[in-house]
Amino acid sequence: MRIPAVVDQLRKIAGRDAVLDRPEDLMLYEYDAGVRKCTPAAVVFPQNTEHVSQIMRLASSAGFPVVARGAGTGLSGGSISPEGGVVLAFARMNRILEVDAENMRAVVQPGVVNQTLSDNVAHLGLYFAPDPSSQKACTIGGNVAENSGGPHTLASGVTVNHVTGMTVVLPSGEVVRFGGKAAECSGYDLTGFFVGSEGTVGIVTEIIVKLLRRPERVATLLAIFETIDDGARTVSAITAAGITPAALEMLDGWTLRAVEAACHAGYPLDAGAVLLIELDGLAEQVEEQAEAVREVCLQQKAREVRRAKDEAERALLWKGRKNAFAALGRLAPSYYSQDGVVPRTRIPAVLQFIEGVAKKYGLRIGNIFHAGDGNLHPLILFDPRDPKQLELVQQAGRDILEYCVSVGGSITGEHGVGLEKRDLMPLLFTDEDLDVMLSLRNAFNAAGVLNPGKLFPTTRMCAETRGPSSNPVLIREGM
Amino acid sequence: MSATTGVSLDVVRELRAVCGEDHVVDTPEQLKGCSSNICSDPAVAIWPGSAEEVVAVLQLAGRKGLGIIPAGGRTQPVFGENQQPYAVLCTSRLTEVEHYDHADLTVGVGAGMTVAQLNAMVSADHLVFAPDPRLPERCTIGGLLATAGQGPLRHGYGGVRDFCIGVRFVTGDGRRAKGGGRVVKNVAGYDLMKLLIGSYGTLAVITSASFKLFPAPRQTRTFLAEFASATEALQFRDLIMRSPLAPMCLELVSPGAGKLMRPETTSDAWVMCVRASGSDAVLARYRKELGSAITREMDGEDEVKLWRGIQDFPINAEDWQDNARIHWLSLVVSTVSVVVPPADVHSVIEIVMRAAVPEVYGAAVVGRVGIGHVLAYLWIMNDEAPSDPSARVIDELGTRLSPLANISRSGARSPWALPPAQLMSMRAVKRALDPNNVLRGREIF
Repeated sequence: MRIPAVVDQLRKIAGRDAVLDRPEDLMLYEYDAGVRKCTPAAVVFPQNTEHVSQIMRLASSAGFPVVARGAGTGLSGGSISPEGGVVLAFARMNRILEVDAENMRAVVQPGVVNQTLSDNVAHLGLYFAPDPSSQKACTIGGNVAENSGGPHTLASGVTVNHVTGMTVVLPSGEVVRFGGKAAECSGYDLTGFFVGSEGTVGIVTEIIVKLLRRPERVATLLAIFETIDDGARTVSAITAAGITPAALEMLDGWTLRAVEAACHAGYPLDAGAVLLIELDGLAEQVEEQAEAVREVCLQQKAREVRRAKDEAERALLWKGRKNAFAALGRLAPSYYSQDGVVPRTRIPAVLQFIEGVAKKYGLRIGNIFHAGDGNLHPLILFDPRDPKQLELVQQAGRDILEYCVSVGGSITGEHGVGLEKRDLMPLLFTDEDLDVMLSLRNAFNAAGVLNPGKLFPTTRMCAETRGPSSNPVLIREGM
Repeated sequence: MSATTGVSLDVVRELRAVCGEDHVVDTPEQLKGCSSNICSDPAVAIWPGSAEEVVAVLQLAGRKGLGIIPAGGRTQPVFGENQQPYAVLCTSRLTEVEHYDHADLTVGVGAGMTVAQLNAMVSADHLVFAPDPRLPERCTIGGLLATAGQGPLRHGYGGVRDFCIGVRFVTGDGRRAKGGGRVVKNVAGYDLMKLLIGSYGTLAVITSASFKLFPAPRQTRTFLAEFASATEALQFRDLIMRSPLAPMCLELVSPGAGKLMRPETTSDAWVMCVRASGSDAVLARYRKELGSAITREMDGEDEVKLWRGIQDFPINAEDWQDNARIHWLSLVVSTVSVVVPPADVHSVIEIVMRAAVPEVYGAAVVGRVGIGHVLAYLWIMNDEAPSDPSARVIDELGTRLSPLANISRSGARSPWALPPAQLMSMRAVKRALDPNNVLRGREIF
């Protein structure tokens, strides 16, 4: 089908002003927060589940790919359309449909911004726990697609631990409902399966999420170390002391200097590393744990352990952490972020390995990570105008992820596989593992209409399924 | 064809070739011990010793049209009817420790290891494996996952879906695969743990799994509060849920359940059991917040005994081992498990307790009321009582509650008393992993 014909159909479904097809408009939808780009054929803004259903019926019959998109803050290329595809953007499905304080649940549309939900239930003493660094912009639909995490998922769990039900539109246009407000529902846990499926099996149009009660007390500590090794060893020492902090983040000295220059968060400029440690809960418990953590840090050669005096100081420390990626933009035109995971006892070893990789390729690599759960975000700085640099950076990233897998870890802890890491999946999974996952994808999305080319290695997609390579795409006039 | 089982002798011979002579039995005498809650009359029982053997068994079953029912410790109270012929695949030889590093707070073990064995292993390092299903000495890791088992600790620690970080399995069509891994945070690939947890062995045979562990609490205390009615008890629950307190367990025990646990009890009170962990100062704070509602505190052996009684209710381990359940249990006609939003718990209890008729039917309730899980037991008190009152209870629950409520009933052919709303999608998943319906132990569709 040609683009103008599809655009006409999309306008009939969603409204005249709900479809973009001019090149200058489409440019805004050709990238996410990662390094890949591809311009879609059109962007449509559905306003309700019925719109999504009609669009999927059209896509399935006309055979064009559809890619769901929240705010485009993802780091794995998950929301980038293949050439000739249609982006389903959820900016207009951004309503909080219900807040059920009694059952501590909210029902939201996928375009609701993560932070907005917490802001809207704050007066009830509640909040939504998953808190990706992009929470001021990223949407809950995107969080569901990627099973996003964030600093506070150490104790609270990632997105899947906070979703109990959803409404989903399948590629056929059929609308199905999984789960509900109850902690467990009858039947297979399809809610759990769809969370983190990266938009490859269905499009979520309503989400039932858990809300948590705000803790009575929060203590935020900044432990300052002369060396990154001392900081890294402290992570497992805290765990070994029987303490699970709400958050346990690490920044190396090089990164925190960039952060300080950008955010003036109060980080020390001369440190080798810092740990940002947050404890929350009952006041008595938090005070005891804060003291215990301070002792562990000092035993592990912390130079100093500071505690945020008030909410403003706490917010400033977190502002520094959550804006760390952006702060590194002051040092180089671009960065390539990795998302590997290692068992937390391997953090000192993986940091040494990353240092070796930086030397090997002559690159600058900053380390910001969710140390408590071993989720690393090495940020490799580069200039995208130099294709050779991008190649080196990607090879360095691959080396780091291979190392993570070799010590029992994973290639992604919270960013998803998407386009970026699809060809690294065989590091973790056997052919048979991938075959089983592919048969499940095909159970819902056999024609590959939904988000083709994501999550599975390209070799498997071409060889064994009707994937993107054989999927008809929209043809521009004049092509 | 075997004269006694209906399974071809060739098939039995091939199964023995896969698992070894000593690990396949097919005579009625040998199979006696294999009759269970899961399968009443298996034709053959198999004990594979590795994931490779499970693959071979499932591929053979697919070729020969033999149904397979995976079985762990057979502790689930749900009965089902099975199509013949079928084999029961026992996981008790799959007990390998695949990985364990106490400093990482993760462990990976074979599906046949019991929950008690796993806890014994990690408790040496002051860690705890949080799921506390009924009869942990028998309940296996595979069974726990397949049935989404839980116990009182579900309130404070979450369900097994919250801390299973990896699963290895063999699909119904004999493919050996895995989901997740060994680290606590991992979003690579589909979350197959969620799909298999609570699938009752109808999609795959779980061969091993990895979990998060938690630091063991240094001390605990249980606070008991007695109320004249469920309504008052649930008002107390609401106060706790709105407070800063975060108890490990929050369990409501009905008067009937209390008497069954401790026959010497004469009280007609609804008892809210609040278990907390922490330092003396933390426990003092609980005491202060819970206030005058507290009628008793427990610690030490008494506390352990109380929670073990709630965990195993209505069975206890000694009775099970003797294979002679206590008298009243033989009269239990139905166990109904209901998971609803917490605000609906009151309605569930009302409906269940209405089924109690003096001298005719008894009803007892134990509820994980903070998360909305109610376990109800109905029994006949005299021989002339009409049969099973639970059907009416289920009907009323179905009418009054969200159609998505998770309701199960012993004796039912499906683990879910009300048909799941997403049957079409479930069928698609079933076809993807078990296209020949080899794993047909539960009649789900």
